[in-house]
Amino acid sequence: MHLPDGFISPQLSLPAYAVCAPLWTWAARRHLGRSAAEALPVIGSLTALAFVIQTIMIPVPGGTSIHLVGIVLLALLYHPLVAFLCESLVLLVQALFLGAGGITVLGINALALGLVGPLAGWLAWKALRRASERAALFAAGWLAVQASTLAVVGALALQHRLDPGYFPMPPAVTLAAMMAPSLAVTGVVEGLYTVFALSLVRRARLRGVET
Amino acid sequence: MASRPDPRAGRRLLAAWLVGLFAASALRDLGLLAGAALLALLLFRHGLWRNLRRTARSVVPVTVGLSLASLAFLRLSAGAWPPLEPFAALALRAAVMGFATFSVLDRVDLLRALAPFPTLSRLLVVTLAQIHALRLVATESRDGLRSRLPRRPGALDLVRNAGGITAVLFTLAARNARDVADAMKSRGF
Repeated sequence: MHLPDGFISPQLSLPAYAVCAPLWTWAARRHLGRSAAEALPVIGSLTALAFVIQTIMIPVPGGTSIHLVGIVLLALLYHPLVAFLCESLVLLVQALFLGAGGITVLGINALALGLVGPLAGWLAWKALRRASERAALFAAGWLAVQASTLAVVGALALQHRLDPGYFPMPPAVTLAAMMAPSLAVTGVVEGLYTVFALSLVRRARLRGVET
Repeated sequence: MASRPDPRAGRRLLAAWLVGLFAASALRDLGLLAGAALLALLLFRHGLWRNLRRTARSVVPVTVGLSLASLAFLRLSAGAWPPLEPFAALALRAAVMGFATFSVLDRVDLLRALAPFPTLSRLLVVTLAQIHALRLVATESRDGLRSRLPRRPGALDLVRNAGGITAVLFTLAARNARDVADAMKSRGF
C-alpha cells in the first residue's frame, strides 16, 4: 500500500517531512522522554512487533496474497502517537534495510499509514465501542485500512494535479486500483484480524498493555 | 577476510545518496533521467546484475501495472493514446532511485555509519534484534498450523491464527522489552 520512491516530487515530499518532524519530536518526547532505558526497548519491541505482523501473508482468491497491517492494534492498545512512531520506524527499517518504500516518501507514508489510518480506526473504536465491542474493533481495523489507502490515493491525486507530466496516472485509475482491493479484501481481513487479535491479547492479560 | 566498510566513508555515501535521491525525485525530463541512469550504472558497477534484478522485482511490477491500467483508461476515455513520455519518465525515475538505493545499501554498514546518532542507532539495534526473535516465533507458529491441519490452511484459518500469534508476540515483546531495559540499566543507561 505504501508509495515507492519516484512517485512523489519534492514539492510534496518535503512539506510532508515538515509536517512529520514536529510530530516525531512530540511523539518521541512523550514516549521516549522518560529514561531511555525504560522507553527505548518498549518502542523497539513494538516496532518489531508491527514489522513482523506486516510480514504475515494471507492468501486471497485470485492466486495472490495480502499482508496484514496491524498498526491500528497499537493505536487501540497504547495511543495513536505510539502507532505513528512505530509505523514510522517500520517504514525506516524497510527503506534502509530492505530498500522497500523509500526515503523520499517516508514522510507521506508515515502520515498515511502511521497517523491517518490508526487515528481513524481509534476514533471509530471510541465512537462505537459502547454499542458493540466486536463491531467497534472490526470497524476500527476496516476503517484504518480505508483511511490509509485514501490518504495515499489523495497524495497521488495531488501530485497528478500539481504536475500531470510528473505523475501521469489519472486519479480515477489510482483510486480504482487501490481502493477496490482495499474495500473488498484488505479492509475485511484487517477488521477480522483486529477482532481476533485484540480479544486474544486481552485474554493473555499482559502486564503493561493497556486494554 | 573481507574488510569492514569505513563508517566515515559510509556516512559520506549515505549523505550523497540522500541528496541524490531528492534530486532524482525532482527530475521529469526523460533525457536527464537517462543521464542519471547511466551515471548510476557507472558508479555502481559492482553488484550491478544483482541490484538490477532486485530493482526489476520490487519496482518494475508496480510501475508497469499502474502505467498499463492508466494507458488503457486514457485510451478508452479520450479515444486516443496519451503521450508515452511521462510514463517512461516515471518508470525510469522509480527504477533509477530503486537501483541507487539497493546499490548504496549494499556498500554501507548502516549501524556503524549511524553511530553518531546514538538514540536512533540503539533504537534500530533493539528493533532489528526483536524482529529476528519475533519472526522465528511467527514462522514456527505458521508451520505449526500447517502441520496440525489435514488440508491447506485457508484465509480464515490464517487470520484466526494470526490473532493467536499476535497475543504470543505481544507477550514475548513485553518480556523482551523488560529484559533489554534491565540490561541497559545494568550498563548505566
